[in-house]
Amino acid sequence: MTALDNILLDAALAVILLAGALLLIRIRRGPSMLDRAVGVDVAAALMVAGIGVQAASTRTRYYLSIMLVIAFLGFTSSVGIARFIAVRDRPTPRPVPRPVPPKEGP
Amino acid sequence: MTAWHEVADLAGAALLLLGALVCLTGVIGLLRLPDVLARSSAATNPQTLGILLITAGVALRLRSWADLGTLALVVFFHLLTNPVAAHLVARVAYRTGQTGDCALLFDELAGSEPDRRN
Repeated sequence: MTALDNILLDAALAVILLAGALLLIRIRRGPSMLDRAVGVDVAAALMVAGIGVQAASTRTRYYLSIMLVIAFLGFTSSVGIARFIAVRDRPTPRPVPRPVPPKEGP
Repeated sequence: MTAWHEVADLAGAALLLLGALVCLTGVIGLLRLPDVLARSSAATNPQTLGILLITAGVALRLRSWADLGTLALVVFFHLLTNPVAAHLVARVAYRTGQTGDCALLFDELAGSEPDRRN
């Protein structure tokens, strides 16, 4: 374990924490529930990334099962929001789709 | 032997930092893009490439076959579940009219989709 390894791992952890903070801003001001669903999905990926950095820096293999469970179940929240909650949360009615004009020949 | 171990440790740490930076670029895109579909395409960036790089870094630092199998399962479930979630979110975004019609070049679902708004 050299010093350069420690610097790189601490930098990776700091970058992941910064990404999580920016993601919280998006979840806070997302205009619709679907933006928050995408944000929560990315939050699960960032959790997997942070646990991976922790497991690599302490060389512990017991974190890997937690990574596996989050990778397997992290998408259920966004699927639940997309299937059941976003249907009630309709901001504006969709305009009637205008017919596509046929393309003129040269 | 120890030289190889040190090289693997250093490469693993560098891969972890690179994966973290890819995750950060995805989150920045999530903050700056204007639309649900564009944000969804930016959100797949940390979820696939970042997780791939980070699991490669962890595998280079742990160096055992059992951990390599677990990490391969992590990558497999990410690659399996992310398209499902992205597809559902994009479909609901289209049906509830949050796609931002002016940015679409083609709208192939225009007349084919049953209107379930009511």
